Amino acid sequence: MPPSSAPSHSILIVEDNPGDIGLLRAAFQKIDPTIELVFAGDGIEALALLRRDHRPDLVLLDLNLPRMDGRELLALIKKDPLLRPIPVLVLTSSAAESDVRNVYDLQANGYLVKPDEYSGYLELARQTRQYWFSTIRLPTHSH
Amino acid sequence: MDPTPPTAREGLRHRPRQWQADMFRTVVEVSPNAMVMADAQGRIEFANARTEQMFGYGREELVGEPVEILVPERFRAAHPRYLRGYFEAPEQRAMGAGRDLYGRRRDGTEFPVEIGLNPLENGGERFVLSVIIDITARKEIESRLQASAAELARSNADLEQFAYAASHDLKEPLRMITGYLDMLTVEHGEALGPQAHDCVRHAVEGAARMRALIEGLLAYSRAGTRAPELGLVELELVLAEVRDNLASALAESEGELDADELPVVRADRTQMLQLFQNLVSNALKFRTAQPARVRIRASADGPFWRFEVADNGIGIEEPFRERVFGMFQRLHGGNRYPGSGIGLALCRRIVERHGGKIHAESSPEGGTRIVFLLPR
Repeated sequence: MPPSSAPSHSILIVEDNPGDIGLLRAAFQKIDPTIELVFAGDGIEALALLRRDHRPDLVLLDLNLPRMDGRELLALIKKDPLLRPIPVLVLTSSAAESDVRNVYDLQANGYLVKPDEYSGYLELARQTRQYWFSTIRLPTHSH
Repeated sequence: MDPTPPTAREGLRHRPRQWQADMFRTVVEVSPNAMVMADAQGRIEFANARTEQMFGYGREELVGEPVEILVPERFRAAHPRYLRGYFEAPEQRAMGAGRDLYGRRRDGTEFPVEIGLNPLENGGERFVLSVIIDITARKEIESRLQASAAELARSNADLEQFAYAASHDLKEPLRMITGYLDMLTVEHGEALGPQAHDCVRHAVEGAARMRALIEGLLAYSRAGTRAPELGLVELELVLAEVRDNLASALAESEGELDADELPVVRADRTQMLQLFQNLVSNALKFRTAQPARVRIRASADGPFWRFEVADNGIGIEEPFRERVFGMFQRLHGGNRYPGSGIGLALCRRIVERHGGKIHAESSPEGGTRIVFLLPR
């Protein structure tokens, strides 16, 4: 495979709702098809992927998930010295102040409210790529 | 035969003394209340027929006994002290103000009573006449009322909880509808014919109305289930935020919003924003062909701040001025004045949860004036 086809960046999306998955997939595909999207349907699946040496550049994390919810997974990631450097952005439909507070207490790197419209997802994909994969400097690690 | 017929004023006085005495005894006997007369030492001198029925004692068993015989054991020790206290300041009054009183029957069972005390004096001897009412039935009704009030409060709270959960969960599928409709337009718009675009537009508008409805229901049930989070709120800043949020509606209506300097109040900030934004938004929405003029006045009114939000809009006819504060109440069709009918219901709930009041009147400019009070 030519090196140019290797994914530029990888995002782990932890989300169980197929509708949200479809919107995120479509939006990121359109903004930057070179970004690799990996999906996990709950916290346990996501943790298994991360512990199996999958190192995404970013985690997009829903809060309400089956089996192990987003808060639990977030707490585990931020307690693990190997996983801690991976930025985790919570992406949820809740705009409740208590959730925002709680999630930052758990060391989330950002809090995003799910957009109501597809255009909002496009904007989210554009800004996420710009800020986290270009503007910001993070510790380097090998994929 | 008495030569002069008795007048009403004379009453029983024309009757022989013995007749009068018999009659008074009969009155005491048929009284629906138990009557017990005791001397200053608390010995029973006399008890009426109702006392026998109420307490299950024969009269001969009561006379000469201490009144404590009628009092539940656990209160007996304290009773003589109360009795002495009474004779130190004898007056007509209720026994045991604020305490629950009980009588004790011969068989040891108890029942709730109310007792009126009356001092009597005869031939230098002092007595106390207790009039005892069995309030078992009233107590039962009271406790049944309390139970149904508690049940009502609980079922109201359940309903609020349900409305909150339902509207919260309704938002998720709605997000899918709006999200994918938008994707359809953005990604496949060119493939759609004008009729298909029309369909999408109607669906988008419907979804937007539904979102407004759900947001309104959520805000309304939240204001009902949660106690307001009180803090010092600078209403000047709240109004600035309202101006920001309604900037496009203000521009579109060529509206002008003019306000007094607003005070700092102790309130829930989110709810103050909802309150002022709903009122200003209504004032802009229900306008005539003229540009909208909205005036907000604030003044001190006793322990309250009095606020007025007046407009030059279409006004509310007198018979509907109370009704507009009801849930889902709307006076106009959705084409000209779209809305969910929740706004003013939410405003009323917010004001009342803050201990204030709100009503609508007609404004001097011919439109509506909403007046509300918030505690200072």
